[in-house]
Amino acid sequence: MIVTLLGPEREFYTRVRLPLSVMLCIMTTYNRTKQRWRVGMRRKVGIGATAWIVGGAGLFIGAVASWLVSQGNPGNMGLCVACFLRDITGFFAGVATGQAATAYIRPEIIGIIIGAVAAAVLTREFRPRGGSATILRFVLGFIFMVSALIFLGCTVRAWLRLAGGDLNAIWGILGIVAGVIVGIVILKQGYSLGRSKKVSGILGWALPALAIVLLVFAGLAAFDSRPTFTTQTTQGAFATGDSPPVVFLKEDGAIATVLRPDGAIITAEGSVVAATGEVLASAESVSNARPQPGGRRAPLAIALIAGLLIGVVAQRTRFCSIGGIRDAILVRRYDLLFGVAGLLIGAAVVNMVLGQFRLGFENQPVAHMDILGNFVAMMVASVAAMMLGGCPFRQIIVGAEGDFDGFAAVVGMLTGAGFAHWALLASSAKGLAPLAWPAIGVMVVILAAIAFVSRRNGAISRG
Amino acid sequence: MKEVDVRGLSCPMPLVETKKALDSEPDTITVLADSGTAKANVVAMLKDNGYEVAVDESVDGYTISGTRT
Repeated sequence: MIVTLLGPEREFYTRVRLPLSVMLCIMTTYNRTKQRWRVGMRRKVGIGATAWIVGGAGLFIGAVASWLVSQGNPGNMGLCVACFLRDITGFFAGVATGQAATAYIRPEIIGIIIGAVAAAVLTREFRPRGGSATILRFVLGFIFMVSALIFLGCTVRAWLRLAGGDLNAIWGILGIVAGVIVGIVILKQGYSLGRSKKVSGILGWALPALAIVLLVFAGLAAFDSRPTFTTQTTQGAFATGDSPPVVFLKEDGAIATVLRPDGAIITAEGSVVAATGEVLASAESVSNARPQPGGRRAPLAIALIAGLLIGVVAQRTRFCSIGGIRDAILVRRYDLLFGVAGLLIGAAVVNMVLGQFRLGFENQPVAHMDILGNFVAMMVASVAAMMLGGCPFRQIIVGAEGDFDGFAAVVGMLTGAGFAHWALLASSAKGLAPLAWPAIGVMVVILAAIAFVSRRNGAISRG
Repeated sequence: MKEVDVRGLSCPMPLVETKKALDSEPDTITVLADSGTAKANVVAMLKDNGYEVAVDESVDGYTISGTRT
């Protein structure tokens, strides 16, 4: 068009109009870019006041968890949702599942539920809801628990173990990261369990009601009047690695009373023999005996109050042990990552102050040294947690807020714990159980199947 | 003006959906949520992105309105 212009018109275009247009164009682009960059920076950082609040919550939960160990809880297990739910299953079904060593109603769980319900009701956040693939959530909870018991801890305890110096937890934490990445890939396929809807109030109160039932049984057990069908690990009991194990109590650091097998006798050199004279546990085996996890516990009132406080803090701050890595990768939000960092720091500092920090791989409490087992088990657990929408700790909190699907996940975890012990899938200090790898294979297939059938429910739209 | 309905969605979908809506840099955005967690997370995300946020509570949940400042 310019070529058709003549004389002064052409001069006007080339000397005035064109350079002006170009300048205007550059300025507009510059301004837009600047604006976008500013917004982009704000978005990229994603660290607001809430990040520090969640970080503080993590610090608090970690510190309380480590302190609970000094009050009697198992080593690096001041707070473990998987272990504690497992112990509750042991209390009710220990006879059938063979959970003599892990049977005790953990008051922390009762406290967490009641604390979270109270916080949710007071802030009008208690809303009965459910119906988002409730059965699949039960299955995912079940799988989470079985794999957590192969690792020996949930996604919360993995961090607490590291905070206690247990370097085996590193493989588990790498597994969490890998599991979260797999979970994100699944989410990007459009995976969703569907929307939950409002449900009747009765369903919303399912988990709080369970907490009350547990409180009643815990009270009965505290006054030595628990029903005969229940099981409770004797407080302070030790078990040898023999098969069957010799279970005994110590006094002044030495074996004092044999609880099982019946009729066993302690010899002068410290071994344990049957009435027939057969050696049940050598003196060396007795001295290497480990405390039974269910027999190590903080006093009921302390555990209950600690749980209450943790429940309130977790409900208010939405603390989640897998959400940190997930949100950082997926939506560039770092609130929950601050929570996990706080958990690690709070627990580590209190462990050091109380002299509970022991750095190393060997002889860590309730842990094994199978690198691949630790990694893969935690990876499977994290994928299950990702598919649930939050870690097991969060499932308890949302259950307490009236989410029946969260309740279903908790019941799945309780059932999975009983199954893992009954089917001899849970690990021990020696390492993975023989059936652990086949079980992991089956769980991976089930997770893949659930991910496949729920892949186009329209969560993240593609493209 | 953008409207996002994250009611009944599990984590992290409320944040993913909100973030997606924010990509077009709307001047105003409305997010419907029905859990305390979704509400808190969405409010924090909007605030961190420079929006002024108001939350309206009803029996059905929360209506979160964000206006760019």
